[in-house]
Amino acid sequence: MNSLRVFFVGGLISFRGLFNWLSPWIYIPSMLVAPIFQILLFAYIGRSAGVQDDAFFVIGNAVQYSAIPCLFALTNTVAGERWTQTLGIVLVTPARRVPLFLGRSLPVVVNGFLVSMFCLVVSSLLLGVHIPGSAWPPMVVVVAVAAASCTGLGLVTAAIGLRVRETAVLSNVLFGVLLIFSGANVPLDTLPSWMATVGEALPLSHAIAAARELAAGASWSDVSGLVGTEVLIGVVYAAIGLGGLRYFEAESRRKATLEIQ
Amino acid sequence: MLSDPVVEALDLHRSYRTRTGILKRERRDVDAVRGVSFAIERGELFGLLGPNGAGKTTTIKMLITLLLPSAGTARVLGHDVVDAPRDVRRHIGYVFGGDRGLYERLSALDNLRYFSELYGVPPREQRQRIGELLEMVGLTGREKERVEGFSRGMRQRLHIARGLLHDPAVLFLDEPSIGIDPVGARELRATIAQLREQGKTILLTTHYMFEADELCDRIAVIADGTIVAEGTPSQLKGRVADGHVAEVETFGLPDGHLDVVRSLAGVRSAAVEERGQAQVLIVQVEPGAEVTSGVLSSIGGTRVGKVSAREPTLEDAYVELVSAS
Repeated sequence: MNSLRVFFVGGLISFRGLFNWLSPWIYIPSMLVAPIFQILLFAYIGRSAGVQDDAFFVIGNAVQYSAIPCLFALTNTVAGERWTQTLGIVLVTPARRVPLFLGRSLPVVVNGFLVSMFCLVVSSLLLGVHIPGSAWPPMVVVVAVAAASCTGLGLVTAAIGLRVRETAVLSNVLFGVLLIFSGANVPLDTLPSWMATVGEALPLSHAIAAARELAAGASWSDVSGLVGTEVLIGVVYAAIGLGGLRYFEAESRRKATLEIQ
Repeated sequence: MLSDPVVEALDLHRSYRTRTGILKRERRDVDAVRGVSFAIERGELFGLLGPNGAGKTTTIKMLITLLLPSAGTARVLGHDVVDAPRDVRRHIGYVFGGDRGLYERLSALDNLRYFSELYGVPPREQRQRIGELLEMVGLTGREKERVEGFSRGMRQRLHIARGLLHDPAVLFLDEPSIGIDPVGARELRATIAQLREQGKTILLTTHYMFEADELCDRIAVIADGTIVAEGTPSQLKGRVADGHVAEVETFGLPDGHLDVVRSLAGVRSAAVEERGQAQVLIVQVEPGAEVTSGVLSSIGGTRVGKVSAREPTLEDAYVELVSAS
């Protein structure tokens, strides 16, 4: 019971307390306006270069942009505690760490999902991309899976936040990696094989492919393998992240790394 | 050692490794705590006094399970801080001084609600418990305001409330009154005294001698990572009570003169305290000795202001102990 409350209630309160972008003055430009610019940029580059159609870029970038809330927000909710000096106070509570940290990821997943859906709908309207009505319900599920999977990677960066200060740099680098390697703007099969292999092991790649297939008329059963792989990748990253949080917490007791500001 | 101590530290050591340089990195081991031992009885308010960098906070961090000792053992309510950290955490509250340690964007109420969840305070009891604590620390009516608008004193009182949410048997207060104005500090001392009356076992670190004198049942003075003296405030004062203290106000006291003063016959210890433009030489004098003329002649042409003598205080005992270590 207590762990459930730590997961749901604690997760939401700490998200509100630590995710500094919740102010409308930051949230709207960075979460809602910036991704539309990114989508328009790649769509127009695609048009002028004569490669792919608008739907390719709209879906790829809308799903990929969930990386911003999922990586940054979750990392902020752990590494940000270094600055507020609440991390030590949190870690001397007897709360179980899995619900404590995993609970923080739930609002992050919801936020990532909302950002991606907003981008998908608005950029589709702006660019006149038609996605069949029957494709939307499964696409909603795929976008939610993508946000959850990417949050798994966010848990890994959050864990690193227990050890190092410069987590924003890491999140930025990972966002760039996902922009290239996830197939958001360049099909994986046209990337060099090593890049495609890396892309296959990253979150979002399979969700982007599934969403594109759904928009092209595929059924849920056609993409269920891709979605299943995306879920598995997310679970693996989340497990690594939770293991990392456990390891780095123990390490902080040994090496006094929580002192680093 | 006491028969059934609530907090027990036995020969605690803690070293840090620091690194300097970027290309050619040099590692250096720093011994922050070097064999600290003490025991705190149930319901006792125990003070840990020492200068900056003496090892007070490091000691507390080992006791609250945030740091592992490099050597030695520590137990809180019988639970080993290394082997049973979760059992220790259930029974302790931790409060430190300063501006931070709270979620600025959240209200005071949400800060307390969050930690209530982490400490497993049952939902049905949370509202009442939070209400009682807000009342106790004088924040009733301000609980829905964001912490970012709170004064330092209000934040400190909120810290205390946070540390008491789960009604811990043991409280660790790490310089809770640092930076608070005199009125706020007095209110805080009243709150701490109230907690002791409730039967809490408290470990308090502070720089303020009058605070330790007023509140603590026993005090340990820590300097350079080791305990240099331990006893009741009266016992510690007694260490210097058989002499007196001479204070010489100087202006522009050059370096090196302190060692000369310390070497004078009849001088037990000496220290310099900055008071505005003046440097006040505080000299602990052996019983029956007269050192004023010797001190004045030893500081040569330095401009001298007021010269006085007084009875020793706990602060004098502290200065002597720390200076001698």
